[in-house]
Amino acid sequence: MNDSQSDAAVEAGDALAEWTGTLAERLGAEGWVADFATPRLYVDREAWVETLRRVRDDEGMPFFSWLSAIDWSKEVAVGETVAEPDDLEERFEVICRLSSVIDATGAHFIAVLPKDDAWIDSIVQLFGGAEWHEREAHEMFGIDFRGNPNLTHLYLPDRFEGNPLLKSFPLLSRDVKPWPGIVDVEAMPSADTGPSTENPEAPR
Amino acid sequence: MTMDERLMHRSEVAVSVELQTPDMTLNIGPQHPSTHGVLRLVARVDGEKIQEVEPVIGYMHRGYEKLAEVRTYAQITALVNRIDWVAGFANEIAYIRAVETLVGIEPTERAQWIRLILSEMARISSHLVFMSSYPLELGATTPLFYALRERERVLDLLESVTGGRFHPNFNRVGGVKSAAGGGAETKKVSQDLPVGFFSQTRDAMVKVLAVCDQIDELVTGNELIKARTVDVGVIPADKAVSYGISGPNLRASGVAFDLRKHEAILPYDQVDFEIAVSEHGDCYDRYVVRLEEIRQSSRIILQAIDKIPSGPLQAKVPRILKVPRGQAYVRNENPKGEFGYYVISEGGRMPYRLKIRSTSFSNLSILPWLLKGALIPDLVAIMGSLDFVLGDVDR
Repeated sequence: MNDSQSDAAVEAGDALAEWTGTLAERLGAEGWVADFATPRLYVDREAWVETLRRVRDDEGMPFFSWLSAIDWSKEVAVGETVAEPDDLEERFEVICRLSSVIDATGAHFIAVLPKDDAWIDSIVQLFGGAEWHEREAHEMFGIDFRGNPNLTHLYLPDRFEGNPLLKSFPLLSRDVKPWPGIVDVEAMPSADTGPSTENPEAPR
Repeated sequence: MTMDERLMHRSEVAVSVELQTPDMTLNIGPQHPSTHGVLRLVARVDGEKIQEVEPVIGYMHRGYEKLAEVRTYAQITALVNRIDWVAGFANEIAYIRAVETLVGIEPTERAQWIRLILSEMARISSHLVFMSSYPLELGATTPLFYALRERERVLDLLESVTGGRFHPNFNRVGGVKSAAGGGAETKKVSQDLPVGFFSQTRDAMVKVLAVCDQIDELVTGNELIKARTVDVGVIPADKAVSYGISGPNLRASGVAFDLRKHEAILPYDQVDFEIAVSEHGDCYDRYVVRLEEIRQSSRIILQAIDKIPSGPLQAKVPRILKVPRGQAYVRNENPKGEFGYYVISEGGRMPYRLKIRSTSFSNLSILPWLLKGALIPDLVAIMGSLDFVLGDVDR
């Protein structure tokens, strides 16, 4: 990448940051981030439905792309932990992506939920497509979407217990058999990256 | 049955058109010839009329979002091209671009063009499956043979480059895999597209355009097809947008939105093509839009093989990929619509979370609304016109 290109990239990034900042101000968002070309706005959960309605009607983003959640957890049953588990504030983030159907405008709207009180108002009234996405987030994370008329299992069998996408949910196949993909992760003997600082222990 | 009873029965039949008949629950599936996978519909019907329908999905749920949390970034490409297996190559593009965005590596120019050519081939092959299956669902058998014959040609080309017909697993961070045959000795001299690829592609595109004309003649003006599809299953633009319907299904409703024009992550700005769009949003328009998209894709490929620059297939990438902390969402215009990946990296070897925005999931979610009040004979016509793949619904 030469200099002029990277300058252009920085400028594009700045333009996106500026756009995100002014949008956050208009909506009264609690915070915003615009790195990696992905604008994210943090919204108070009490204002969730009203904010998304304003984004849909006034900000030209009527396209309901998806809704999902992240489980920010200090401990994980499988996979890797966050970079600094000690500083992590455990929480759920519910993310709704809305975008335009005229240009490339689009943003993530995020509400933070405490783990012991994980509820948020449903947006089915605003976006018909939200029903399935909320049902999925409900069964995968155990989040309560208040007002969703049909909050039952979507993918999982009716009698399935637990919420598979929680970080505390184990992956049974890993208990039965160690990870076969470890060969791709271990540093090769000939690797020219110098002495490996990675923990050679297989992730569970 | 006594005479009186029979008379009573007859009189009941005579007036039943005026009366409310009791609703019946009709279970369709989990396996139905036109479901493109394992889907079950539980419908409450009043005679021929569907009052309410509840799709039951999840028969193919493989938990890819959980599996991605225990795989390295490089291993996940093998998972993602199994989501919408009819267009496996296209699924990799947005994922690999999301990882490249986080790492800060630009793919080489030649790799970008190869990605573009192969994703358009994936689009053609996906739409040709629609062109074969949809008329078949409506009772027209012949287009199946024409469409699948040419699809085979396109899949052969895909296979000659990637080594896989359905699951290419061909994209790497910073570029594409060097084509089959590159061993340790040839590592420095990248293996490139196979000999004769461009001339074979030109031939194939001529044949694809010819089969479009054949299907056009057989299907587009066909009275029976029109009777089954015109004004059937109408999705107004505002409903489509509120349900997150994208791709040809959205464009058939009159919304001229195509990520290849509006947010291209491949060099689509350097080729000429038009957004195929229609206005009524019925089953017929969804068919017409897809037929036009095959033609536009061939047009794109023919331009791309003239424009593709020479150069390396891979940018310089460290041997062990370190993905910095960050969150990136990248979406791509897949054959079926907007396909996106939200990659959340905590700086490890595997993503902390990977959200997959699969197209058919949203496209199918409108089914309960769309089928309300429809007739049972229209059910297959409406479902087929949405062109979904269950692997893409269930992930």
